[in-house]
Amino acid sequence: MPKSSSSPLLRRRLRQGRDRLATALITAGGIGVIAAVMAIGVFLVVEVLPLFWSGSPEAPQVDLDALWQPQTYPGLEAPVHRWQPALPDSDPGPRFGMAPLAWGTLEAAAWSLVIAVPLALGAAAHSALFMSRRLRAHLKPTLELMEALPGVVIGFLAGLVLAPWLERHLGLGLTLLLLLPPGLVVGGALWSRLPARIRRWLPLGWSALWLVPWLLLLWALARWLAPGVEGWWFGGDLRGWLAATLGLDYTNRNAIIVGMAMGFAVMPSIYALAEDALSGVPSSLSEGAQALGATRWQTLWRVVLPAAGPGVFSAVMIGAGRAVGETMIVLMASGNTALMTASPFDGLRSMAASIAIELPEAAPGGTHYRLLLLAALLLFIFTFLVNTLAEVVRTRLRRRYRRLGVSS
Amino acid sequence: MLPALRRSLLAWLLVLAGAWAIPVAADAPPVGTLDTVGSDTMAGLMLRWGELLGRRYPGLRVQLQASGSASAPPALTAGTTLVGPMSRPMTEPEREAFVDRFGYPPRAVVVAQDALVVVVHRHNPLASLSRRQVDAIFSETRRCGAAKGIRRWQALGLSQPKGRIVLHGRNAVSGTHGLFRREALCGGSFRPEVNEHPGSAAVVAAVADDPLAIGYAGLNHLTPSVRAVPLRDAAGRLHAPDPQAVRRGAYPLARDLRLYVNQPPGEPLPPAERAFLALVLSDEGQAVVDELGFASLSASTLARQRRELGLVDDGA
Amino acid sequence: MKVVAWHRSGRVRLPRGEGPWAWLAAGSVSLSLLLLALLLMLLATRGLGHFWPSDVDQVTLADGRVLAGRAVKEAPLPDDQGMERLYRTDNRDLDGDIWEWVPVPDIETLSQPRDLVVLERRRWGAFIGRLVAWLPAQGERREGAAAWDALQARLAALDRQRDAIARLREESLLPLARRLEAEGEHPRTVRALTEVQARIRALHEAMAGDVLILESVDGRRLRQPVEEVLGAMRPNAMGPGAKLVAWGDGVWRFLSEGPRAANAEGGVWPAIFGTILLVMLMSLVVTPFGVLAAVYLNEVAHQGRLTRLVRIGVRNLAGVPSIVYGVFGLGVFVYGLGGRLDQWFFEDSLPSPTFGTGGLLWASLTLALLTLPVVIVATEEGLARIPDRQREGALALGATRLEMLSRVVLPMATPAMLTGMILAVARAAGEVAPLMLVGVAKLAPQVPVDGDFPFLHLERKFMHLGYHIFDAAFHGNDVQAAMPLVYATALLLVLVILVLNLTAIFLRHHLRSRHGSLSRY
Repeated sequence: MPKSSSSPLLRRRLRQGRDRLATALITAGGIGVIAAVMAIGVFLVVEVLPLFWSGSPEAPQVDLDALWQPQTYPGLEAPVHRWQPALPDSDPGPRFGMAPLAWGTLEAAAWSLVIAVPLALGAAAHSALFMSRRLRAHLKPTLELMEALPGVVIGFLAGLVLAPWLERHLGLGLTLLLLLPPGLVVGGALWSRLPARIRRWLPLGWSALWLVPWLLLLWALARWLAPGVEGWWFGGDLRGWLAATLGLDYTNRNAIIVGMAMGFAVMPSIYALAEDALSGVPSSLSEGAQALGATRWQTLWRVVLPAAGPGVFSAVMIGAGRAVGETMIVLMASGNTALMTASPFDGLRSMAASIAIELPEAAPGGTHYRLLLLAALLLFIFTFLVNTLAEVVRTRLRRRYRRLGVSS
Repeated sequence: MLPALRRSLLAWLLVLAGAWAIPVAADAPPVGTLDTVGSDTMAGLMLRWGELLGRRYPGLRVQLQASGSASAPPALTAGTTLVGPMSRPMTEPEREAFVDRFGYPPRAVVVAQDALVVVVHRHNPLASLSRRQVDAIFSETRRCGAAKGIRRWQALGLSQPKGRIVLHGRNAVSGTHGLFRREALCGGSFRPEVNEHPGSAAVVAAVADDPLAIGYAGLNHLTPSVRAVPLRDAAGRLHAPDPQAVRRGAYPLARDLRLYVNQPPGEPLPPAERAFLALVLSDEGQAVVDELGFASLSASTLARQRRELGLVDDGA
Repeated sequence: MKVVAWHRSGRVRLPRGEGPWAWLAAGSVSLSLLLLALLLMLLATRGLGHFWPSDVDQVTLADGRVLAGRAVKEAPLPDDQGMERLYRTDNRDLDGDIWEWVPVPDIETLSQPRDLVVLERRRWGAFIGRLVAWLPAQGERREGAAAWDALQARLAALDRQRDAIARLREESLLPLARRLEAEGEHPRTVRALTEVQARIRALHEAMAGDVLILESVDGRRLRQPVEEVLGAMRPNAMGPGAKLVAWGDGVWRFLSEGPRAANAEGGVWPAIFGTILLVMLMSLVVTPFGVLAAVYLNEVAHQGRLTRLVRIGVRNLAGVPSIVYGVFGLGVFVYGLGGRLDQWFFEDSLPSPTFGTGGLLWASLTLALLTLPVVIVATEEGLARIPDRQREGALALGATRLEMLSRVVLPMATPAMLTGMILAVARAAGEVAPLMLVGVAKLAPQVPVDGDFPFLHLERKFMHLGYHIFDAAFHGNDVQAAMPLVYATALLLVLVILVLNLTAIFLRHHLRSRHGSLSRY
């Protein structure tokens, strides 16, 4: 019967047609979305190119030397780096030396890594090796929440709370820095002298928690010691001593503040990736080492870390990528001084912060606008490369673990 | 799809530009929205004036888009606003664009005065600064004629704060930065060490926390945590940055805050604008100026401007 | 390093000699947790503490001066002369300032008199001092406790009158004004309008007239029109219960009112609204497109080298700084698309831009782009978790690919999509830097949704909690005065983000357990 046989056939045709249409739409849509995301790089390149190619009147050609080499400006004796974009009608005209911005960006990232990497790797090692499973299950989400703290909140606290506090309590800051590491080691030594009965109440796997009061105790001790330390060693005025002896002048918005704030922000993401890498090492390796009599720390140092090294490296890379592009923290905590000094107590200015405050005021298509876009392009390329590198390393590592896991 | 989109976009346009500030019969009070576009320094003032206006004429409200002085001239020229607040005078090209479109220049109404103050930490004993010293402290070009740059507090003859002077200021794209550079640095350029803060309040906060700091900020941002340093003119007279000195015209780093108004010569203002300007130039409006920490205008200036705008009858 | 025997007397014992490094590692976890806890506690105490009506001190100094205020902070005086204390004394109309630094050694006496009143006023900020007398427009002058009672009653009445005015405005005045615009100057409309205006003015006049005589603690007198007083309390005479009520009221007003005094006072309602609207618009855009791309990558595309590369590329885009997305949004959306739109549709308002300037639409599109990788990655993870058996089963039963996707795969991947969306929302809610380029406003008292057609104004600028923090902390009139509100706003933002993240964590957990059971089939 033609009627009843054509209807399922028709329906099937229809279904197939619909399926083909949907597949085509999904393909087109998917490719479109991905292209839109990737368009960022293309857009930046297209917008930046006229800087080096055509010289339209409102955006004259810029040569690379002028951007990255010290220039001689009227009124100054020696050639210098200057980033001083000014209003268009201003008299000496704008000065566009990008070197201080690049320097500031890298300096901020470097200091934040100096703070974040030891903390994150220590935490990762501890939670991969020593921490009780239950605590670990809670710690990971907690640090994830820390990662989600908005930069503007951290920047506000760094710029308006931490910076003035540290300016007044430099001595305390230094004392803490000197006191905390030995204090922790002493705490550990004390713990191992404790009678076993008490020690059972303070298991090693939970040390991350019961060390918190110990830290508070150390902090109180540092507060008590700080005036003495500042008095004996630095004549009661650490800031004056820094300036007189080391020639380091303390500015209250400085690279250290930025490093502390951004280190705090970046630490959780480094931790998460490093912890993944460390705990992903096949347990056969570490169990073997421990069976041979190694302590857990020796196991970590000699066995786990070499195996997980690339993963840890990629974690640090990801952290560096985040630190380079973080905007609000640097904007609010750094003082935005486009300097090129190595002193950690001087201010700095990063590319991201410059973009955020200057781009809305820059005339579209002008030199200033395009240079800020160039900065964005550099940030894009840098983070993209760093992340790709990290991703490749991690993929390799995962494959290696799989092999190791299988061969054992 | 497109015509529909176009229609709804048009509807947005109507609403956006929708200043239904229609002149109504002379006996009806003004109603509608008064759109203003311009300076963010004056945003607080405009808001408070708008509040007062809404109280006086319940059907009238002021809508404010405070995105910087530079946004006022294009909006005035385009006719989307009849009142543009600006913290600097219009530049020549901006004025020309307006004249090209309308055939007459916009009218500038000075509504308040602002000043830049040099601030130090509240315990800093610094008595006064000359312009040359300010220049030597803040600039690397020293166009005002100082022989040597001043980097340390000792170089100012002070014994108390010891160490390098820590400099604070505004970011380069702000009008405050530009004015200070033009007036205090004789058009030279800032040292790169100047901390560039995104707002005047941040400058004051940073100076308040650091005994070695010096900075510049708007008059209305002064707090007791910092001290404004009197400026010394060439004759050696001191000028403290108080509103009286600004009003007298004695303080060197002062600037006028203006409303630019599109008023065809010989014609009266539309009722909404007229009501707004009358309020701003009234005693009640000037009290807002004082309250927000700017310098209000002298009675004679107010009377003159009211007369020029034809507001004499309802100025009180 | 001493290696202690693992086994002693048959019982497993914890190793003792892990050496100093292990303790430093443990310490770094503790330090991170401690810092996080400190940060949250700081935000919570300062943010919530601001609304607590704390006691007002009356201070007599050695030189005989008297002042009243709340202590804010202390700082050391130069040359080790002790500390100095910052008091918030308010009374800007009397003193020209709201702060006073007082050297602590100079303080002779410190007391909390119960009769000190704190008035919240529309102009000149708060007043701290004593209530001397109540002078109503009609009726007799009252003093002391009677004046206080009369003031309380009048303030309640004023609140009702303010509500009445607002209602009259919304319900009668604005529609009339709109009709005036639509139909031209019809005499009846004009008459009705004049009438409503007269009624409003009458209400205003009914509110005016009453005056308070106030006296600061050092004896200066002040006549205060009552209509400008928004609230009055005597914190030193309040019990904990009354303070708690006042605290709750303060928190509520912070959440529900608009900012006053250039963002240094008042509430953050427009910013809350702006943030939520922005994030909602963003997720409307990002979820379908993100899922589309993920489905394409995981289900449709040929799984070759190119797809792998694209996948890595998308993943890496999640690491590109948000400010770069902001630059893209400004260059492509605002200047490119927006400028084009203005040329086509809004030619008559040029050169003043309509869409050619930052606004809600462009901001939400920029954030959508920024969070697209998050959604794609999360959805893909969910899709990859679904066992191939499920797909093969559906296909074997004769389903087409579309049916397999829509009936089997996508429903199973819904929790993953939700997780992705919530993660995207959590990331977007905290982003400020790109918004500074594409349309956040310092102050937009008008929310982008209102009664004017077409109700949702995508081209308007909007307020945002994160930017509000930046703005109030750096751009306001006085950082010190704005600090409490900045803390409160920061706490609010952090809470919003924590809740969103916890939801995502919970969902992910839920998803894992569900698929854990699924693979057992």
